[in-house]
Amino acid sequence: MMSCLEAHKPSLCHSEPLTTEKVRAKLTVLKGVLTSCYGPFGRLKQLHNGMGGSVCTTSQSTVLLRNLSVTHPILKILTTAVQNHVSCFSDCGLFTAILCCNLIENVQKTELTAATTIKLNKHLLNFCISYLRSEICGCRIPVDFTSTQILLCLVRSILTSKPACMLTRKEVDHISALILRAFLHTIPENTGEPIILGKCIIVPLKGQRVTDSTVLPGVLIEMSVQLMRMLPARKSSALKVALFATSLSGDFSDPGEGSVVVSYGVSLENAVLDQLINIGRQLVSDRVDLVLCQKVIHPSLKQFLSNHHILAIDRVGVTLMEPLSKVTGAQPIGSLGPVSPSSYGNAKNWCSAKFGCKHFFHLIPNEATVCSLLLCNRNDTAWDELKLTCQTALHVLQLTIKDPWVLLGGGCTETHLAAYIRHMTHKEPGSILQDDGCTQAELQLIAEAFCSALESLAGSLEHDGGEILTDMKHGHFWSVQAGPPSAVNWPDLLSRCGCGVYSSQEELTWSFLRSTHHPFVPHTRLPQEALEITQQSAHSLTVDCLTAKLSGLKVAVETANLILDLAYVIEDKN
Amino acid sequence: MKSPRDPGKLLGFRPGADPGELPFLSSWVPGLSNPTREVQGQAFPPSEFVKSSGFSNREAAPVRLPVHSLLPVSSPPFPLPVAPAALGQCRCSDGCQVEAVSPPSSMAVAVSVKTALQVAEVLEAIVSRCVGPEGRQVLCTKPTGEVLLSRDGGRLLQALHLDHPIARIIVACVSSHLKKTGDGAKTFIIFLCHLLRGLHTITEKEKDSLISENIQTFERRWKNCCQWKFISQALLTFQTQILDGIMDQYLSRHFLSVFSSSTKERTLCRSSLVLLLEAYFCGRVGRNNHKFISQLMCDYFFKCMTSENGMEVLELVDDCFVELNVSVIGLPVSDSKIIDGLVLHRDFSVYCPADGDIRVAVVREIIQPVFSTSRSEFVLNSEAQFQTSQIWIMERTKSIMKYLLSQNVKLLLSTVKQPDLVIYYARLSGISVVDCLSSEEVSLIQRIISLSPFVLPQASLQCEISDTALVKFCKPLILRSKRYAHLGLISTCTFVPHCISLCGPVQGLVEQHENALHGAFKMLRQLFKDFDLNYVKKANDQNDALRPCIYKNNRKSNQVPKIGNHSIHRSYQDTGIKNSDKLEKTQYLKAHSNLVVSDVELETYIPCLTLKMMPPDRVQTDEIWRCLPPENKRITDDYELLIESNSTRNSLTENPGIEISYENFQVTNIAGKGSMLPVKYKSLDTCISQSFCSSSIPAGCVLPVGGTFEILLHYYLLSYAERCQQLEEIVVSKLIASALLGIPKILYKPKKGSHSFPQIYLRALHTLQTSQPMISCQAGLESVTGKYHVLTSVLQCLTKILTIDLIMNIKRQPLKNCDQDSEDELQH
Repeated sequence: MMSCLEAHKPSLCHSEPLTTEKVRAKLTVLKGVLTSCYGPFGRLKQLHNGMGGSVCTTSQSTVLLRNLSVTHPILKILTTAVQNHVSCFSDCGLFTAILCCNLIENVQKTELTAATTIKLNKHLLNFCISYLRSEICGCRIPVDFTSTQILLCLVRSILTSKPACMLTRKEVDHISALILRAFLHTIPENTGEPIILGKCIIVPLKGQRVTDSTVLPGVLIEMSVQLMRMLPARKSSALKVALFATSLSGDFSDPGEGSVVVSYGVSLENAVLDQLINIGRQLVSDRVDLVLCQKVIHPSLKQFLSNHHILAIDRVGVTLMEPLSKVTGAQPIGSLGPVSPSSYGNAKNWCSAKFGCKHFFHLIPNEATVCSLLLCNRNDTAWDELKLTCQTALHVLQLTIKDPWVLLGGGCTETHLAAYIRHMTHKEPGSILQDDGCTQAELQLIAEAFCSALESLAGSLEHDGGEILTDMKHGHFWSVQAGPPSAVNWPDLLSRCGCGVYSSQEELTWSFLRSTHHPFVPHTRLPQEALEITQQSAHSLTVDCLTAKLSGLKVAVETANLILDLAYVIEDKN
Repeated sequence: MKSPRDPGKLLGFRPGADPGELPFLSSWVPGLSNPTREVQGQAFPPSEFVKSSGFSNREAAPVRLPVHSLLPVSSPPFPLPVAPAALGQCRCSDGCQVEAVSPPSSMAVAVSVKTALQVAEVLEAIVSRCVGPEGRQVLCTKPTGEVLLSRDGGRLLQALHLDHPIARIIVACVSSHLKKTGDGAKTFIIFLCHLLRGLHTITEKEKDSLISENIQTFERRWKNCCQWKFISQALLTFQTQILDGIMDQYLSRHFLSVFSSSTKERTLCRSSLVLLLEAYFCGRVGRNNHKFISQLMCDYFFKCMTSENGMEVLELVDDCFVELNVSVIGLPVSDSKIIDGLVLHRDFSVYCPADGDIRVAVVREIIQPVFSTSRSEFVLNSEAQFQTSQIWIMERTKSIMKYLLSQNVKLLLSTVKQPDLVIYYARLSGISVVDCLSSEEVSLIQRIISLSPFVLPQASLQCEISDTALVKFCKPLILRSKRYAHLGLISTCTFVPHCISLCGPVQGLVEQHENALHGAFKMLRQLFKDFDLNYVKKANDQNDALRPCIYKNNRKSNQVPKIGNHSIHRSYQDTGIKNSDKLEKTQYLKAHSNLVVSDVELETYIPCLTLKMMPPDRVQTDEIWRCLPPENKRITDDYELLIESNSTRNSLTENPGIEISYENFQVTNIAGKGSMLPVKYKSLDTCISQSFCSSSIPAGCVLPVGGTFEILLHYYLLSYAERCQQLEEIVVSKLIASALLGIPKILYKPKKGSHSFPQIYLRALHTLQTSQPMISCQAGLESVTGKYHVLTSVLQCLTKILTIDLIMNIKRQPLKNCDQDSEDELQH
């Protein structure tokens, strides 16, 4: 109640927040930080907290935005929008953030009213989405699930775009193969409707070589060496498993709201222990081979079980309960009463395994959709980055199953889209303008701002001072090293476009991306031959997840519109 | 007011009262001369205010609000003759120290129209940029670091944390208004500001003319106070006695309805609901989303509704809105959708897939028995006893579950957390469990399926479940990696359970949409109710406007249904028009013969109602006209009698005409977009008959958006003022009439050419004068009652401000109950 008695401080009210120099400067700084991280050649950021904690090196938007303390409300809106997008789709965080910044910056230069820009931005967005979803789209590839080619490209593109994982080319190949394998493990064999995907548990193993990483079916439980030695001999036949969710430590839970009076000489511990031993007896008579307990098992019960050659593992933890239940088919037991026979599950076998300096108990399932990805990397921060990347890749693969398309990566989708929008605004402005009271001139202005936002987003993939070109046939992205001689034979200097679909030997003409050029008709409909050639060749494509990118595009434009629409910011200073 | 684009000037209409026009003003109130203004002018240096008016000047520099320095808290230059009285009052209430006792450093602030105007102008500057379809968003931060997007006037005022006393009065009035209606905060502020501005100009002009008067300062102040008191009284009388009458008599003929009332049952017309909602969301959510959100809401409403009358559904949705919507953050707004069934904001503790006959039971206590309940002791005498009691607990839990299963209960909903043992046995029995439900959720479920929770018996193992209900399905629902329990309840009331999942990139935006949706349901709930006008008919007041007399006449004829045409005519002659003679009688007959000619002519008669606009003879016919229809409508049985009466020919000829006008459902074409508005154009007859039954605004009354209400009321107030002879009433109605235009002025500000405000205004006046039906240039509708409430609330607020003469700063912690009240008001 004290707070009520304190006088409220009046709020601070800014009008037209975007027009102030301070806000613009802040936006520019944020944009600079994010742009420099973008892409496979992005610069790494080292985040260290002056108050302590570990130092982390990253180039991912998730980590970066989580750790940056943003104070201005407008920036806060932007960063939370990006973070929320990433938490839904895992991928395309930087894409969203940079595009949003670019849009705000470019649109402000046009000096049109907020109402018009917002309306037109929305039209352009709808236009982009319907193009990217349409049959004629020239930057979309269907995913062929009969071969792993495209999926592998997708995973590899994600891995290479995170330079802070510190992977060599060989390691990227290894890890991407592992991720794909782990993902395939989680797909159930008998595909009923709906498909329920299994789970891939990432097990940390730091300080090892990346190439030591591996995928194992089933669940790995870490154990101490002593415990390992105590394990009984392996059985060849199938195992019967009991899974306890309740504590087997003999504690007396929940006496109720009133009081419990215990007479002198009555030992509750003994009483509970009797119960525990009773359970043990039942487990023995039911011929259970393995007892797993989420919480603690009383040492006496443990001793009793090991005397009867039953393997008992406790303190499994709540996170492993669901996978264990899935792997074994056992139901977590929640009472100390007689165990119903239907609660038991089974497993194929178990083995002990040693990876690096860690010992693991490996439960091998008969047939299950749970696997463990043992992930190694040299140090903590690189491992953290790699783990995040693996999670992203797994999530993106899931999204791709739902919507089996990928977009061309490496900046090609952006430049192609920009070229297409430019072309359409000149040729058929009516298809974008939906009689909304906006003039064609306004559309031209905003479309230019929108396209240059997309192009400068693609341009931020280049960090080493190189030049960015676009070809006048497909509208793809080409980058060339810094300082090209004035008169050059472009086909010799360039090799492949950003996504890797086209090579420079295909009689193309180029122009600088940043220079003004006449709108041209980019070829829609990706030619089938182009794809087949590249798929056979050793060269891999760079592709992005369609679902994540589309949503990123939507969120970026929606957020930019939101910010452009602000008339006031009222800051509560309490 | 003085901008070159001021439409008032262009039109030759002067906003506010002109002293030239009102020479009586000085005689009206003795102390109207306003010398204290000078003193206050010194006390409140205008330079301070200029800073804050940076809002309207598009200054980017931050402005601190409230402008506390704007209004000096110290030393009003008068010796405070009022202080003792006020002091006495304060002492009575709580015996606190009042700062005003120590004269020179007094903390009391004199309240004047000028200060109130300054405060209101600052608020208006903020609010006016968020109003209407062109309005923009405001970003509010909370001390916790959250950000909220809003265009909601109430929320903005709350976020500003105003501490100027007058601002607080205004905010309190706005929030009490919002509590009642949930809409119109921005309109409130704009209207209030224009009223204050109007008052200010009146007094300023008076001051100029009477500047030479030489009275002592405090006397002036006294007189000044008296003047304000008079004005406020006049406002109050106006609001209670005149406004309702004008609403009922003049405005009501322009009302449209969202119900297509071809039959006796009111059926909600979908397309007009769409228009209504679109207009509502236009002013409430971001520019890009209003269409989508209004479509979503419309779909939702029609999906939830079974019967034609949605009132019950509206009440339920309004009451349980929080439970009926799920916010999903991180997805684009366009991913929002309507989900069939009820989504509980909880995951299953146990989920066992089940099909077929699924029954649900609700429990409010822990199923597992415990050793001892509160205030009891459980004595353990032996280990065996402990073990048996534990086994008993297990057995009992198990048997309850078995019993539930035998009753086909496959789903257990619980308000409390059920212990692991219960969860375990539920899983074994194949019963899904959702626990930790909020009591609101459970009461919503109870409301939908009328199911009461079952009670566990204390002693016996056999428990009786009084109530279970059938559900269509129960399954987990995953929205953006968060899991919810999704139930297909079979409703026993008119509400068909559906939920809305609202998506948005940031929490603040989703919250805005939630609030807007909730507000829309509130608005509809208000709209679907009849609203009674408390207007007192001044029956015998000959000086008053003519209209009430005629109504009285009509009423008479109504009460005596058997009277023939002649008798109506006679009674009409008696009271209504003074100079009625034989000539007029022939006129009257002519009018009747006219009726037979064509219904086209008839239609032209209908809207033609303004007294002054018509030559006297046409007034007569018009009035007779209106005498007849109600009778005809209500007494269809007595129709035979009428025929039998002398004037057989007349009534016969008259009848078909009436019939046509009665069934005169026009389809008004609104806006150039060609959207057809299938609302019934209320013909005169029905309006009048309703005003006879009870003077009320019937449920579902709407007007086109874009200031139609304001312009209409403006017009009728002005014409009322011309007829009126009482000075206060003239002043007040002119004042209100000009202030009403403030809202359409702001709405049409960004428009140019033929859509600019002066053009619109001129056109509207022209159509009214020539008695054509009003055509709005904007598609969209708004509730009449909502507008009416804003108007009355503002007038009440203004009277409140005007009646206060002094604000005293009390340096003392507020009393507990007072504190809660104010807190409550702020949180609305």
